[in-house]
Amino acid sequence: MSSSMQFYISNLLVYLGVDVMACLGLNLQFGVAGLINLAFIVFQAAGAYTAAVLTLGPSTARGGFQSYILGAHLQFPLPWLAAAVVGGALSFVVGLIVLRRLRTDYQAMVMLVISLIATTVVTNATGLFNGSNGLALIPQPLESVLKLSPVGYQWFYVGLTFACTILVWVIVRRITGSPLGRTLRAVRDNDVAAASLGKNVTQLRLIAFVAGGAIAGLSGAILAQFISAWSPGSWLFPESFVYFSAVIVGGAGNNMGAVVGAALVPVAFLEATRYIPQFGYPGLVDALQWVVVGLLTLGVMWFRPRGVFPERTRRFARPPGSEPTHE
Amino acid sequence: MNLYVLSFGFGLITASILAIASVGFTLQFGVTNILNLAYGDVMTGCAFIAYLVTRAGGSLAEALLAGAASGALASYGLNRFVYTPFVRRGTRMFGMIIVTISVSLVLQNGLQGIFKATFFSLALPRPSSYTFAGMIFTSQQFVIIALAVVAMLFVHALLSWTKLGRAMRATAADPELARSCGIATDRVIDVAWLLSGALCGTAGVALALNVTSFTSTAGGQFLIPIIAAAVLGGVGHPYGAMVGAVVIGLSAELSAAVIPPSYKEVVAFLILIVVLLIRPQGIFAEVATQKEVVA
Amino acid sequence: MSGEPLLSVRGLAKSFGGVEAVRDVSFDVAAGSITGLIGPNGAGKSSVLAIVSGFLAPTSGSVHFGGELVSGHSAYRLARLGLVRTFQLSSEFERLSVIENLLVAAPNQRGDRLRDVLAGRWRWRAEEDEAVARARELLARFEIPEKEDDLAGDLSGGQKRLLELARALMTEPKLLLLDEPMAGVNPALIRRIEAHLMALRDEGLTMLMVEHELGVVERLCDPVVVMAQGQVLSSGTMAELRANEEVLDAYLAG
Repeated sequence: MSSSMQFYISNLLVYLGVDVMACLGLNLQFGVAGLINLAFIVFQAAGAYTAAVLTLGPSTARGGFQSYILGAHLQFPLPWLAAAVVGGALSFVVGLIVLRRLRTDYQAMVMLVISLIATTVVTNATGLFNGSNGLALIPQPLESVLKLSPVGYQWFYVGLTFACTILVWVIVRRITGSPLGRTLRAVRDNDVAAASLGKNVTQLRLIAFVAGGAIAGLSGAILAQFISAWSPGSWLFPESFVYFSAVIVGGAGNNMGAVVGAALVPVAFLEATRYIPQFGYPGLVDALQWVVVGLLTLGVMWFRPRGVFPERTRRFARPPGSEPTHE
Repeated sequence: MNLYVLSFGFGLITASILAIASVGFTLQFGVTNILNLAYGDVMTGCAFIAYLVTRAGGSLAEALLAGAASGALASYGLNRFVYTPFVRRGTRMFGMIIVTISVSLVLQNGLQGIFKATFFSLALPRPSSYTFAGMIFTSQQFVIIALAVVAMLFVHALLSWTKLGRAMRATAADPELARSCGIATDRVIDVAWLLSGALCGTAGVALALNVTSFTSTAGGQFLIPIIAAAVLGGVGHPYGAMVGAVVIGLSAELSAAVIPPSYKEVVAFLILIVVLLIRPQGIFAEVATQKEVVA
Repeated sequence: MSGEPLLSVRGLAKSFGGVEAVRDVSFDVAAGSITGLIGPNGAGKSSVLAIVSGFLAPTSGSVHFGGELVSGHSAYRLARLGLVRTFQLSSEFERLSVIENLLVAAPNQRGDRLRDVLAGRWRWRAEEDEAVARARELLARFEIPEKEDDLAGDLSGGQKRLLELARALMTEPKLLLLDEPMAGVNPALIRRIEAHLMALRDEGLTMLMVEHELGVVERLCDPVVVMAQGQVLSSGTMAELRANEEVLDAYLAG
């Protein structure tokens, strides 16, 4: 396989892994727990920035052409762990404030506004994360240690991403397949009834929110260190919507659905449209891409609202010889 | 020129545009409980229609009429062909939010696809400007303020003195009860969308009138301040929305005199969040309990 | 049966923006009884139920449950203490299966705790199996065992009622608050539910029931508390109440 082909495929695989993780996290928050986290991308960005400033070293280095807070040269895997922690902690704070007894649409509004505020603040407060230019030259994990060829390093990164994706999958599966996952779905379906059965609704929602946020943070770190750059342009509000679309298309409430959705929407669709020759004026194809994403989401919600892999209920094994009579 | 007084003047204009838009928004939200996040983009669409009308040689009055009419048509059509079918199918609140965001994406990017990402201005003769008590206004801006006043009076008259207005208020308060009292809630809902759409379109044209140039994102950027004004005044309370618009419009512009202007929009954002967290029913409403969507 | 009432409500009051929905309501629920709470529309019964079950904060007054002061406790805390309510409108978890609905209600499950969940299935498997067995017993008792894997949202109205009851029982409650359990239920099913409730009472479960169907109240409840216009008018057996002029004027058609 040619080297450029290898680069292309390994790129795609890393993006796929990152998107799968993000969708699994969003599915936990939205599909399972029913929280419309329209600010999802903010938590992914928080993880990305965390990894960046913890590996870039002091901002005064290299002539100080980028200005940002903190700054350290932490070794892998610390930046990634930190990113997950930051994603989770930020989710905890936001969740504590927002997830109280606000009605669903007001919650969504608050999350949307938080997303907009975050973008505005980070873009304008250049001392925070270098404003709209973003951060560049982010060092990659273990690069100096391993001394691999560029292609070799790509595949190494694919391996890292894959390992993290598996880890996230295991965690999410454990939660959703357990009584806790079932309780989260119950809270989603009828939070008042759940409370009347002894469930602490706010605490349960926080658990889903923080877990999803930590996963988002980790995925952000992985992506930022892969492309070695991160700027506000990568995490505007519509990016959150792409993930929502993916989860809905794949099947909200189903982990396999989240995986498939990630493969279909952010990866396959957006990848495929890269090959459409740029017709019309520059930027037309991008605008049309968004139109199609919107129409796709509407279409799926109309024709197959439960997605490719609908949410499943669990069936419990019966001891042999105890089948109930069927009507 | 005192900066604060000048900003106050800008604030009045912003408040006027906001007032028209947020009264429209709150009327529809109050009656149907559908959070129409595509509202701002319908405004942009109407601004583009007004642009086309002026390009074809139309006057400001014709542009306004075209904007209001297309807003009414677009909103009614959106409800009839997109939102209502989804609600009838059983789509609940969080599904509807995704639906309206999808529509918003399609509209905004569709407009960008048609009109490209360049900036447009209404093709009208340059207005003369006047100084008044330390504030600078153009004749067009006086028109905007006058529009806002007329629109508010119209809404007030409709709601207080007509049977239709009373029916709207009843449906907003309790649709089941209204239906059992013999009110044709279906018709009321249609009117709410038409009226809200007309106000939306008018606001869109006013917005285009006020800025030197606008692009496909202009209306969408106004969405959160509109929602903020509506929520601050109490969802479904048009008079509250008017008060909310004045508060938001003035505070946003006045704040630009103190904090860096790029943070101006954050003021409206923060007001919305604070209101939702501390007193979600706004200034004038009772309690903001969870209600289901109505179509 | 001890002399101490299981539930004791004293001086309960609630105003909504100037309207006094509840004023100075006091009554007891004796352990092992099915106590009825009746009254015309607007009497304040649903507000009282909401306050007692922790969904509404009273303006004043106190609620004692099992001797402990519980006023101001939120609904989920009260449920964990054994005070569980059902709802007038169907409140099943519609995208969960029938048996999943019941399993959610199982109390004190290790599988509900995050740290045990992350540790792995082996930590909570045994408890879950027990809960499944209990749930199946309840489904069999309410004669809907074959519905186990159906989506709760797909059940008929009557079956949803039975599910709601079974689900509340999964929590092993000490006091069950029933909010108009027979509303919209067909007469044949009413009799079956009555039989279930009487059996539960005989097994020692205490219940407080808000109900409009006076026939049901007559057959099941003793004593019965009558409310009107936010206050308690009287209490006693149905026979006593039917003889009471005040009650007749306010409410009973005969």
